[in-house]
Amino acid sequence: MRLNIRFVALCVALLINQGARADELPQRWVSAGGALSEWVSALGGESKLVGVDTTSQHPESLRALPSIGYQRQLSAEGVLSLRPQILVGTEEMGPPPVLAQIRNAGVQVELFSATPDLPTLQGNLRHLGQLLGSEAQAAQLFQGYQQQLDRQAARVREVQLKQKAPGVLLLVGSSGGKLMVAGKDTAADWLLQQAGGRNLATHGGYKSFSVESLAGLNPEVLVFADRALSGEEARAALFKENPILSSTRAARDGRVMELDPTLLVGGLGPRLPQSLEKLTAGFYPAVSARAP
Amino acid sequence: MTSLVKPRTLFIGLSLLCLLATWLSLALGPVSLPLLDTLRAAARLLGLPVAADGLEQAELILGQIRLPRTLLGLAVGGVLALSGVAMQGLFRNPLADPGLVGVSSGAALGAAFAIVGGSALGGLPEAFGPYVLSLCAFLGGLGVTALVYRLGRRNGQTHVATMLLAGIALTALSGSAVGLFTYLADDATLRTLTFWNLGSLNGASYARLWPLLLVSFGVALWLPRRARALNALLLGESEAAHLGVDVEGLKRELVFCTAMGVGAAVAAAGMIGFVGLVVPHLVRLVAGPDHRVLLPASVLAGASLLLFADLVARLALAPAELPIGIVTAFIGAPFFLYLLVRGRA
Repeated sequence: MRLNIRFVALCVALLINQGARADELPQRWVSAGGALSEWVSALGGESKLVGVDTTSQHPESLRALPSIGYQRQLSAEGVLSLRPQILVGTEEMGPPPVLAQIRNAGVQVELFSATPDLPTLQGNLRHLGQLLGSEAQAAQLFQGYQQQLDRQAARVREVQLKQKAPGVLLLVGSSGGKLMVAGKDTAADWLLQQAGGRNLATHGGYKSFSVESLAGLNPEVLVFADRALSGEEARAALFKENPILSSTRAARDGRVMELDPTLLVGGLGPRLPQSLEKLTAGFYPAVSARAP
Repeated sequence: MTSLVKPRTLFIGLSLLCLLATWLSLALGPVSLPLLDTLRAAARLLGLPVAADGLEQAELILGQIRLPRTLLGLAVGGVLALSGVAMQGLFRNPLADPGLVGVSSGAALGAAFAIVGGSALGGLPEAFGPYVLSLCAFLGGLGVTALVYRLGRRNGQTHVATMLLAGIALTALSGSAVGLFTYLADDATLRTLTFWNLGSLNGASYARLWPLLLVSFGVALWLPRRARALNALLLGESEAAHLGVDVEGLKRELVFCTAMGVGAAVAAAGMIGFVGLVVPHLVRLVAGPDHRVLLPASVLAGASLLLFADLVARLALAPAELPIGIVTAFIGAPFFLYLLVRGRA
């Protein structure tokens, strides 16, 4: 009998604890990192966000929130002035002394990995789901994402049976006139592969190329990832400035594509599958057009 | 040029200004604290028996964030201005700044080496990444300055003009090495490097503050003892020697103090331009060229200016923050131009 009473007491205590835990979920969020903020929004946490960093540009409504600056240069007091209960960010968030100060002020600081692969994303989403109290939704979201990427991989395999992978170059940050080409071991390289393109650049990281060596590689498709270069007119201006560039196969055939540069930082984001699909359609125009 | 105000008036005025800047730096920030809470928390930090109820936040913000930041600002501003006076005295040129002997460019080189090299080695451990960066910047500044000094020496004598030219050459050389590191850097390290070059008092902690405080106290106590010698040097090197000044020793001390002071300041807060150039100028305009007044007054003025600049840096875009180098250059560059134009007229 005595044991029984203890057991009941334990159950009651556990129940109260459980209830308390749900109440203790952080309600005021600050998020640093573009993809992470997107996932928080996708998991229904947008109304809890009270501040974001400068890389959080999607969804559009986030831009109205107070900006805590660039994710590597946070200000402890600035973040604290938003009275957050939790600060989430990728491992790029910093500087470390500021994070320590924010932690000391009693704010929960959660770091997420920005590695662009599915297992990392799964872990991140599970963690975010727990923090937002929407675990089921997070699992569902991940499943759907995985299916989308599987379909994407299948699509690429299929079209590659009918057409050779095109040689592609991805250009970043050409607003200042200098072209940076995405090489191996970059998020951009991974993205091109997933979309079924063959990255012609063989260097590591992002390097500036002379226009001449760029033309020498003679890419079949050019992908621009630069906010300053969106739109036909800006691209036309670029070709006008760099006549050699317009003699490449890509320019002659009009196979110049755009990519949102925010997809290249901060890990896998929710908008990635659609962008990959668009890129694949551009890489394999004939096959994609025939597909239903 | 004679003094516009009596030294005593100047010191009282500057001390009050410095106290005001310190108080504002403690009282203002993105988190708005009630004035009463700030006062009570400040009293508690001073060890006065004040009830602690409801003061946790105020005490934390004041003690852990604003106070170390304010101390950092005072030390960096003071030591940069002091080094500026030392260099302008050494080169006998009001347009000299601490960067002339290569300490800034050397520190930038050290920092670039630490940031880019560290990330190439797979990233420094988070716990002492900032310390390695500070140490490399400090050693870089010291190393390049030592080289400049060495190049300026011939037959046991230091030729200031040779040193100046060697400083320019080594600054260019360090610049190109930094450029190479920039080229090798990936996107993330590039951003870190850029922000470091703009300086910031953000994230100051006591652990990183002590070395700087020690160095700047040392420099601030030592240099004013050389005020008479610096005054004699204004007449020219041989004249100073005839007046009994050990000119070679003086030069060595000035270069060493600048390298230590600016090196430590840059290591703690990154590159902060124009304080070392503009503050001695401002003080000289008001107080005249006597180093007995100029040296201590520049410490107070430099510390105040940097604290005010930091207030702008942390409040202008709150909750985000501006790098302080942007603010000081924004104030400093127009003032410098004004001096140039006025001098021509």
